[in-house]
Amino acid sequence: MKTKVRDYLRERGLSGGGAAATIAGGASFAYVFGAVLVFLLIVEAVTGVALAAFYAPSATDAWGSVAYLQDQAVLGWFVRGLHFHAASAMVIVVGLHLIQTALYGAYKKPRELVWWLGILLMVLILAWAVTGYVLRWDQAGYWANKVEVGIAAATPVLGGMVKKLALGGNDYGNLTLTRFYTLHVLLLPVIVGAVTAGHVLLARKLGPTPLGDREGTPRPRWPEQTLRNTIAMAMLLTVLIVYVVAVHGVELAAPADPSAAYDARPLWYFRWLFELRDLAGRAEKLVALATPAIVLGALVALPLADRAPTREIRRRLPYLGALAGLLAVIGGLTLASVIGDARDKELGKRTAGAEQRARLARKLAHDNGVPVTGATDVFFTAPMARARALFATRCKGCHDPDRMDRKGPVIAPGHGNRAWILAFVKNPSGEAFWGRTKLVKTDAAMKSFDQMPPADLDSVVELIYAESGASDVDEAKRKHGAEVFEIGCSDCHAREEGMAGASAPGLAGLGTREYYLSFISNPRSALHMGRDKSEMPRFDRELTLAERDALAEYLVWLRTATRADLEALEALDPVDP
Amino acid sequence: MADEDRRRFLKVATCAIGGGVGLAVAAPFATLLAGPAGKITVTTPTDPLDLGLAEHFRAGAEPRKVDVIAPMVKDGWTAARNVVLGAAWVRRTAPDKLVALSAICPHLGCSIGWDAGVGNFLCPCHDSRFSPEGAKLTGPSERGMDELPLEVRDGRLQLTWVRYKLGQSTREPA
Repeated sequence: MKTKVRDYLRERGLSGGGAAATIAGGASFAYVFGAVLVFLLIVEAVTGVALAAFYAPSATDAWGSVAYLQDQAVLGWFVRGLHFHAASAMVIVVGLHLIQTALYGAYKKPRELVWWLGILLMVLILAWAVTGYVLRWDQAGYWANKVEVGIAAATPVLGGMVKKLALGGNDYGNLTLTRFYTLHVLLLPVIVGAVTAGHVLLARKLGPTPLGDREGTPRPRWPEQTLRNTIAMAMLLTVLIVYVVAVHGVELAAPADPSAAYDARPLWYFRWLFELRDLAGRAEKLVALATPAIVLGALVALPLADRAPTREIRRRLPYLGALAGLLAVIGGLTLASVIGDARDKELGKRTAGAEQRARLARKLAHDNGVPVTGATDVFFTAPMARARALFATRCKGCHDPDRMDRKGPVIAPGHGNRAWILAFVKNPSGEAFWGRTKLVKTDAAMKSFDQMPPADLDSVVELIYAESGASDVDEAKRKHGAEVFEIGCSDCHAREEGMAGASAPGLAGLGTREYYLSFISNPRSALHMGRDKSEMPRFDRELTLAERDALAEYLVWLRTATRADLEALEALDPVDP
Repeated sequence: MADEDRRRFLKVATCAIGGGVGLAVAAPFATLLAGPAGKITVTTPTDPLDLGLAEHFRAGAEPRKVDVIAPMVKDGWTAARNVVLGAAWVRRTAPDKLVALSAICPHLGCSIGWDAGVGNFLCPCHDSRFSPEGAKLTGPSERGMDELPLEVRDGRLQLTWVRYKLGQSTREPA
């Protein structure tokens, strides 16, 4: 049975076969890198397929789908983290593979083509990472991509076209994502797969290069080398899994927002270029384009320059020294960039703010879902978010209890409840009410009803409170209140729907959303304060209907809210300058 | 012979480690892909939905089709407002009695219409006919139209949206 299967495979060229079955000089851990890279490609493919089953490449949905994957799908965070960090591992192993190949002189004749295909693969893998980073459509991926596409756009002659092709038009949007998605999950896998196949087949055919000039005796590849490869894969996977669990996958910043500044940093393996650009100052564009070209050119030229047949390390020191120097520079620049960021206190503060914003966005997405209008609107799913933002910018100046230069009545939790109405009726000119308005200095200001018998006062309060539509109204009190109102209040005020009082506001529906909407829209309408009694501007010409309605809803909410409720809401406030 | 044993051991070890590595990658893959199968990924409101004022439906009038709109539907990661779930045919059968029939045909789920000329319901896909009360008349449907829980609260119609299994004579929630 076993031999039948083996014969079947061998006959079809799928097993055994010539040079590939043996290794000159025997198995070695130095030869595991290629196999480990193929393994990592498989890990990327497997995790990638699972991620693709959740991902939505659209500008409105991408972030939400990734947040869902990260925070709600079972093991989504793990698979996403494995996908991301395995890509990082791939870059490291590519580096090790390159160093090993260079050290052993495996780029030399007859293996030049293997080396060049390897360099091509390195470039493709880095490009693959770039196309993947933008897909999450968060602040980090979005802004990093802007910089990367910006660099590409600086390419002479072709730059503009490259940018338009990358974005799928003139600006970032749905077509940008569908394009990068197609590149990331369709085109690049096929291209990398094909080039990898060529690279591996050639490398297998030619076999590993032993260290130094001595040709070792050929030993079978299976199982000695295969075991070493497998051990290396198992060790790397273990490290990856431990790391992914320790950092809980990979971070997800707040949704991409073209209007919110962000300290864009490239993926760590491009940090050296980032630092170099920084150092280059005005020559940054040239440096950003020329450096990768020079480095790649040097690597491609290596087999052409070092043509002596010897593979002895000490006879190739200039070349190896140059390569070591290049790696040292890359390492040094990376380190300098990371240390520079760590020392920048202002950057640290901004980063902490961005992280807080990301946590909030993800919590809201988890609790409330992402609005179909787009992921940045997730912030508005926080309770009263729109209203509180408006209140802070448009209302607080006149209504905030803590503002020294406040000109209007205080609006705070409990606004419009029984205690508030009672306090108002007792002393309308009080500090928290008309106290700071111009109205208080005129005869038109309402007088204090402090002297009214407490039972009557209580009933009037209940009557006015009932206008809000609250469900806990004491009906007997309200009825009595209506009688008291007729005697004590109706000379000035009216209670009938749509009616203004003789000399004071109509009170029908006081405290309802409709009432507040109407009041905010035009406080100086005859129904409310009248032409002369209010300093408050009309907002129907400044705020949209939806905005005014949001404020009205907020005022209704404040009636039953406590200071603690408000503070709980404010803790949810998006960090927005 | 010792070398043969050693080689056999190495082969077994390679396969064992390789198998472990494969499992470690495959298990989370399968878990993640299978995850949504056991979850409610698209919500349907179980609370009654507002269909407007009851007084708009007069006794003796023909049934009226009303869109059933959910104030909020969570679908995977999104939350959408005012999502049309389907439609119901509402009719006042007695001065104090209103009936709502799901517009989803119990046969294969097409949308049932009102045939005003004949005065009964007709599903356009396979010509199932139902009486104004929703009883099965002719055609392939194995049961009558599905009645939906309906009540009047503060003068407003409150309908509970339910989807039933299709293509069977008994009425079971899907």
